[in-house]
Amino acid sequence: MYILRNALRSILQSKGRNILIGIIVLVIALSSCVALSIRQAAEHARENSMENLEVTAQITVNRQAMMSGQQDKESMKQAMANMEGLSIDDMKQYADNSHVKGFYYTASTSFNAGDGLEAVDTTGTADSESEDSSDKETPGQGMEGVGMPGDTVQSGQQEQKKDMGGRMGVQGDFTVTGYSSDEAMISFINGTSSIIDGSMFAENDVEMNCVVSEELAAYNQLSVGDTITLANPNNEEETYQFTISGIYKDETSSDSAGSMMSAFSAAFDSANQIYTSYANLQDVVARSEESAAVTTDGTTGVESTTALRSQENGTYTFASVDEYQVFKEETEAELGDYYTVTSADVSSYEQSLQPLENLSRYAGYFLVIILGIGGVILIVMNLFNIRERKYEIGVLAAIGMKKWKIAVQFILELLCVTFAAIIIGAGAGTAVSVPVTNQLLAQQIESTQQSRQQQTDNFGRGAGGTPEMGGTPEAGDTPDAGQSDYISQISSATDITVVLQLIGIGIILTIISGCAAVISILRYEPLRILSNRE
Amino acid sequence: MSVLKLEHVSYRYAGTDKTILNDLNYTFEKGRVYSIVGRSGAGKTTLLSLLSGLAAPTDGKIYLEDKDINKIDKYEYRSKYVGVIFQSFNLLPKLTAMENVILSMDIAGKEYGDKKAHAMELLKKVSLGEEEASRRILKLSGGQQQRVAIARALSYNPEILLADEPTGNLDGETQAEIVKIFRQLAHEEGKCIILVTHSPEVAEASDIVYCL
Ligand SMILES: Nc1ncnc2c1ncn2[C@@H]1O[C@H](COP(=O)(O)OP(=O)(O)OP(=O)(O)O)[C@@H](O)[C@H]1O
Ligand SMILES: [Mg+2]
Repeated sequence: MYILRNALRSILQSKGRNILIGIIVLVIALSSCVALSIRQAAEHARENSMENLEVTAQITVNRQAMMSGQQDKESMKQAMANMEGLSIDDMKQYADNSHVKGFYYTASTSFNAGDGLEAVDTTGTADSESEDSSDKETPGQGMEGVGMPGDTVQSGQQEQKKDMGGRMGVQGDFTVTGYSSDEAMISFINGTSSIIDGSMFAENDVEMNCVVSEELAAYNQLSVGDTITLANPNNEEETYQFTISGIYKDETSSDSAGSMMSAFSAAFDSANQIYTSYANLQDVVARSEESAAVTTDGTTGVESTTALRSQENGTYTFASVDEYQVFKEETEAELGDYYTVTSADVSSYEQSLQPLENLSRYAGYFLVIILGIGGVILIVMNLFNIRERKYEIGVLAAIGMKKWKIAVQFILELLCVTFAAIIIGAGAGTAVSVPVTNQLLAQQIESTQQSRQQQTDNFGRGAGGTPEMGGTPEAGDTPDAGQSDYISQISSATDITVVLQLIGIGIILTIISGCAAVISILRYEPLRILSNRE
Repeated sequence: MSVLKLEHVSYRYAGTDKTILNDLNYTFEKGRVYSIVGRSGAGKTTLLSLLSGLAAPTDGKIYLEDKDINKIDKYEYRSKYVGVIFQSFNLLPKLTAMENVILSMDIAGKEYGDKKAHAMELLKKVSLGEEEASRRILKLSGGQQQRVAIARALSYNPEILLADEPTGNLDGETQAEIVKIFRQLAHEEGKCIILVTHSPEVAEASDIVYCL
C-alpha cells in the first residue's frame, strides 16, 4: 500500500520527467489507436460483407495451365479442341461435396426465328444473314474465339465464356436458356428482371413453357398464352414450339456488355433472351440429336452435325466463403491442373475490400515501427531515470526496503504515467480514427483507381483483359471489376477490442521499459551507491 | 546476554589490499550504551556497515543473538531489528522530515495507531517543531537533518541502534539532550546502543568504550 503511495508521491515530485514520458506514450498510444482502429475496421468490413455474401462458384477450364503444358501452337490448338468443360453430370458429382449448399445449372442454345416471329434487331445480323452464314460455316465451329456471354447480361454472373464459343454452334437470332431451378434465375431473384405479365414457368417444366422479354413481345405483338416457333439455325426445317407463360422486363437491358455484344449478333441482344426450364431445353436438344444429319468433311476428317448444341453451365452455392475455400481446395485437387474452381462473388468481394485491406496492412507496419521506436525511447529514458535515482534506491535499500519492492514502486510509477497517457491517447484516437481512416481510405481508393486507370490507358483494357471479348480474362474477373464498388466509408473503428489491445500495448511497453530499470535496481549494492554518492 | 557478537572479524574493501578491521572480538549487550572511538579512517563507519548488514566481513562471523547475521534476511534485519543513523544521514531529500520518518515505519511494516502522531512525537523528542517536520530535508540545516535521521532510526522501535557520529553537527546543549535519550533507551527500555564518536563527552557518558 505504502509502495503505491510512494509511487504516486514520486510521480508528483518529478513532474517534468513524467510529463515527458507521458507525451511519448501519448504519441505512441494515439498512433497505435488509429492504426489498430484501421485494422479493426478492415476486420469488421471483412466479416460484415462476408456475412451478407452469397457465394457461388463455377468449375472452369484453366486455359493458362493447359497452354503452358503445350510446346507449340498446333498442339495448343489440339489441346484446346479436346478440352471440354465438365458436363452437368460431372459437375453434379462434385456437388455432393458436403461443403456445397446448393447446385443449379443452366443450358443455353441458339435458335433462329421460326414462322411468324422476328428477333429484335439493331445489328442487321438477324434472320437472312445468319441463315447465310450457316451455310458457309462449319457447324460446331462457328464464332470460334468470340465469347458467348450466355445470360451474363441478366445475371451479372461470371460465365464460362471463354471455352464455349464454338460449342453453341452457329449463332442464331435468339438465345434460349434453360434453368434447372428458380434459384438459378439470379436476375429474377436479385430484382434486375421481373415478370410483368403472366407467370414464370414451373421449376422443371416439361410443357415447353417459356418467358420472353417485354421488347420481343411488343415487337411481335405476343401475349401470354401465345405460341412461338424457333428453328435450328443449322436446319431451318427443324422447329420447336414454346408457349409463352410470362413476359419479363429487364431493368438492365442497356447493360454495356449486352449492348456491345448485340452489335455482333442479335442473339446477344437482351431482348432476344428466352428463358425456359432446363428440362425443356434438354428435351429439345435430345430431339434435335435424333434427327440430326452427321457429315464428315472429306479433307480434314472433322465430323460435323446439324444437331443443336447447348452450352452448359453449373453453379455451386455455398453458405460461407470458408466453405467455398474448402470446396475449392478439395475439388481442384481432384480435378487436376486443367480446371479451376472460381467465384466471381469472392473475387469481387475481395476487390471491394482491397483498399481497406491495403490500408490495414500499412497500418500494421506503421504500428510495428511506432512500437519499436517508442519502445527504444522509453527504455533509454528509463535507464537515465534509474541512474538519476540511484541515491534514492540506495537509501531505500539501506533502511530495509526490499529490492523487489523498490522495483515494484518504479514499475507502478511507470504504469500510472503510461495508463494516464493511454487513456488520453485512446480518447483522442477514438475521436480522430474514423475521419482519419476515411480520409486515408479515400486516398487509397484513389491510388488504386489510378493504377487501374493506368492499366486501362496502357492496354486499352483493365488488367486481365476484357471478358466480353473472350480474350484471356483472369478467372473470376467480372466485367465491372475496375469500377469503384470499394468499401469507401467506415462508420466506427475504435471498439473494446482496440481499447484492450491498447492496454496490452501499454502493459508490454511498461514491462519492456521497466525491465531495464528492474534489472539495474536488482544489481545495485546499497553500500556502494551510498559510498559513491559524491 | 549478548545481542551482537563479533568473532575474529576482519574486513578488507574489495580491490584493496589493506585490511581495515583486523580480528575484532567485541560483544554488545542489551541495556548498555557503547562508544566506538578511533582516529579518522580507523574503520568505525566500516564496522557499523558490517553490524547493519550492509557489508559482510571478509573473515570471521557476526552473531545476532545466536544467529549468524550472514544467514538472515538483511532487509528484514535493517528494517526491524536495527536502527541506523548514518554519518551522511541518508535521508530522502525530496521528502519532508515527517515523510522520511513515516516511510521507515511503513517499510518496517509494524502497526502504529497514528503514524503521524507517533512520528511527530519522535521529532519533538529530538527538538524539532511542527514547522520543521513539514519541511523538505533539503531545506533543513545539517544539525536538523541529523536529528531527523535519529528520529527515523527510532521510529520503528528497534532493539539495536547504530549511530555514526550522531552528535557531530550538534551544539553542546543539543548533544547532551540526545545522549540523554540514548541512555534512557538503554537503561529504561533495554536497548543496545552503539555510538561512533569523536566526542570525549559522548564517550564519557557511555557504559563501555571500544577503541579501534
Ligand atoms: N568503498 C571503499 N573502498 C575502499 N576503501 C574505503 C572505502 N570506504 C572507506 N575506505 C577506506 O577504509 C578506511 C576506513 O574508512 P571508514 O569510513 O570506516 O573510516 P572512519 O573511521 O569512519 O573515519 P571517519 O572518522 O573519518 O568517519 C579509510 O581508510 C577509507 O579510506
Ligand atoms: Mg566514519
